[in-house]
Amino acid sequence: MAKNVENVKKNVTAENLGESFEVEFLPRRALLWRSFRKHKLGILSMWILAFFYVIVIFADFLSPTSPFKQNASIGFAAPSKIYWKHKGEWIGPHIYPLETARDPITYQRSFYETSELYTVKGSKSDGSSFVYTIGENNVTALVAQVKIDEIGVGETGETLFKTTNKDWNMVRIEKEGIFKEPIISLSVEKDTLDLYRSNPRYARTLQQIGVLQQIKTVETLQKITVKYNDGKSESVPVSVLEDYDFKVYPIKWFVQSWEYKLLGFIPANLHLFGVDSPAVLYLFGGDNYGRDVYTRILFGGRTSLSVGLIGILITFTIGLFLGGVSGYYGGWADEVLMRLTEILISIPTLYLLISLRAILPPDLPSTTTYLMVVVILSFIGWPGMSRVIRGMVLSLKQKEFVEAAKAMGYPSLRIIWKHIIPNTATYIIVAASLSIPGYILGEAGLSFLGFGIREPQSSWGLMLSQAQDLVALRNYPWLLLPGLFLFIAILAFNLFGDALRDAFDPRSLGH
Amino acid sequence: MLKFILRRLILSIPVLLGVSILSFLIISAAPGNFLDVFRLDPSISRETVQRLEREFGFDKDPFTQYFTWLFQVTKGNWGYSFQFKQPVFNLIWQRLGATLLLSLTTLALSWAIGIPLGIYAALKQYSFKDQLSSVIAFLGLSIPNFFFGLLFLYFASRTRLFPIGGMLSVNSSQMNTWQLIGDYFWHVIGPAITLGFSGLAGIMRQMRGQFLDQLHMDYVEFSKAKGMPRKIVFYKHALRNAINPLVTIFGYSLSGLLGGAVLTETVFGWPGMGRLVIQALTAQDLYLVMASLMVSSLMLIIGNLAADILLAVVDPRIRYRFH
Repeated sequence: MAKNVENVKKNVTAENLGESFEVEFLPRRALLWRSFRKHKLGILSMWILAFFYVIVIFADFLSPTSPFKQNASIGFAAPSKIYWKHKGEWIGPHIYPLETARDPITYQRSFYETSELYTVKGSKSDGSSFVYTIGENNVTALVAQVKIDEIGVGETGETLFKTTNKDWNMVRIEKEGIFKEPIISLSVEKDTLDLYRSNPRYARTLQQIGVLQQIKTVETLQKITVKYNDGKSESVPVSVLEDYDFKVYPIKWFVQSWEYKLLGFIPANLHLFGVDSPAVLYLFGGDNYGRDVYTRILFGGRTSLSVGLIGILITFTIGLFLGGVSGYYGGWADEVLMRLTEILISIPTLYLLISLRAILPPDLPSTTTYLMVVVILSFIGWPGMSRVIRGMVLSLKQKEFVEAAKAMGYPSLRIIWKHIIPNTATYIIVAASLSIPGYILGEAGLSFLGFGIREPQSSWGLMLSQAQDLVALRNYPWLLLPGLFLFIAILAFNLFGDALRDAFDPRSLGH
Repeated sequence: MLKFILRRLILSIPVLLGVSILSFLIISAAPGNFLDVFRLDPSISRETVQRLEREFGFDKDPFTQYFTWLFQVTKGNWGYSFQFKQPVFNLIWQRLGATLLLSLTTLALSWAIGIPLGIYAALKQYSFKDQLSSVIAFLGLSIPNFFFGLLFLYFASRTRLFPIGGMLSVNSSQMNTWQLIGDYFWHVIGPAITLGFSGLAGIMRQMRGQFLDQLHMDYVEFSKAKGMPRKIVFYKHALRNAINPLVTIFGYSLSGLLGGAVLTETVFGWPGMGRLVIQALTAQDLYLVMASLMVSSLMLIIGNLAADILLAVVDPRIRYRFH
């Protein structure tokens, strides 16, 4: 102490006076915080982790759909396109429901956005005008029937072939702003030649026909079927279409939809945002059952992020107890334990994990599976842990304060818990934050291989296992998103642990 | 030295015995056995199942089963895989080759890149390139193996630059030796990069740190002051001292790789030990599980032993302690 004060006196200058004062008189906790704060990346990752844990805890509130809600007909749907303008006017974010179509030639599935007619205004072929709006005059639905003509045009403009396809009865949303102005006749014309050219099966036919300049595809509105709520319907032939509008599905804030329990016990059905059905909001796309990847990432985070914390808790309890006991008592207990840890350490980790999982019956309920995974992961962790603790206890046992405690007649277990273990706290905190990534990775790996968390529960590793299918991986890259979250979480834990280790380093505290 | 190696080898025998007992306990504790599939099949008669039970020794108690197995293993008979209908020894031999090839390629790759990168980063300390390589190293240490593998597969399937799995092409039987080697390297790039990335990052960081420590030593300053050419100071004096601690890391990365890479092998469809263990465990293929767990543990032990030996070679203090 005296020496330190001398040092302080010796180096008194304007800027380091405060520094020396802090080192001398601040409590240890404040010193730790002070040196931790110097790590910009550590602080950043602390905030990232805090953010992750918060969004995971409030996953149900933040999810527009239930993580178990399947829409198998639109499996692997791409992330929803969010529109802001409708007919040239800004109306806020909105989306459209998806429909699938299978290409009759390539059998490849594609999605297109559809909507229903909402209001139609025009005149019939006999000259009388009409206005129909859903909800008015008992109208429940308006179905447009569209004729699709495909005309192959040759080099000199002659018609090479003409086909008329069956009626189409939905509004296809082609692109934003296409319906800017009211069109007189709902007739959309486009060139689809490239579509056919790119198709190998159609190429032969195209060659036989001759040199095509373009394929004109004309979609013409023929009639509108009006359905009333008493079951009747009316078919209206359309000659002039003056105006029409179709439904949009705005993204609403604070909607009430599927039920859940907030924090596990408060029943609630309020969600931050959502859309009306049948539209489904896929922020990050859909998985193979048409479940929302965004929702499942949030719920998967619950599993993946909690496994680390619970696992570390169990491991440390076992490791501290066994390491403490074997280090303090020594003798045959120590011998047996150390041989056991040697054996456990000699089996490659993942093999041991999988073998232990194989003991358990495969058809456990999902909550039990989760617990089992945590227990297995902790079982892997304790040998290394207790060996280190044992070493520390062995050296601490020689210290005077332990001798003193013994001399005062304290029971051994009390000496271990109250005097020796607290002295290993620094190591334990740092080791904990640095070994959490191992647990998260262990769980992810197990689930990825199909030995961990099972469907329909969600975990980041399990979600990634869908990307193992090469066709899915190639066409639906959003299946890789859970991996990105896994990566960010692990990176954040590593950086956070690094910063903690530096903060706990006695040199950085100024001692 | 020989005494040291012998001592370590003898010490590993009880560990291996323990591993075998533990594995056997795990397998016996698992519900059901391999014959369950046959029992459920109505076309297989009960007598056949009973005959098979006798043949494979499932009618005896686990204790007897274990010692029968142990006795057979000491005679060199590793048992028979129910699932693959092959002697276990042949099966393991094939798969072990694939795993070893992959491990050695990965090791060579990560060291051949990691060491020069580390040296370069240390010499250009705090430059943009140094910081960039530190960032990449941190990313490499944090990225989950199988995620990286999937990313690589995505890249490969999009660009078609690399094969999307397997160890050799389908038509490998028609290739001559050189083509075969080329084909192997073409296939191994993906798994080796995936496996080696984290190792490379670790090696790079260690190399940079150690080399920087040496560069700040007095003897380096003195040599520089004396007018010794920089090249000799850096590569003859500092580098030699810096590389010693890395030998330990070499040993441990060797043992880690020999211990298997289940996830990477699964992602890339590499016909190695990792996938064999999984197949064996899912089918409860008793002797195959036992043998593959034993062999991979043995590999891990050999890796650790190699690490210790290497350390003893470079550090006389450890060598003399065991004399």
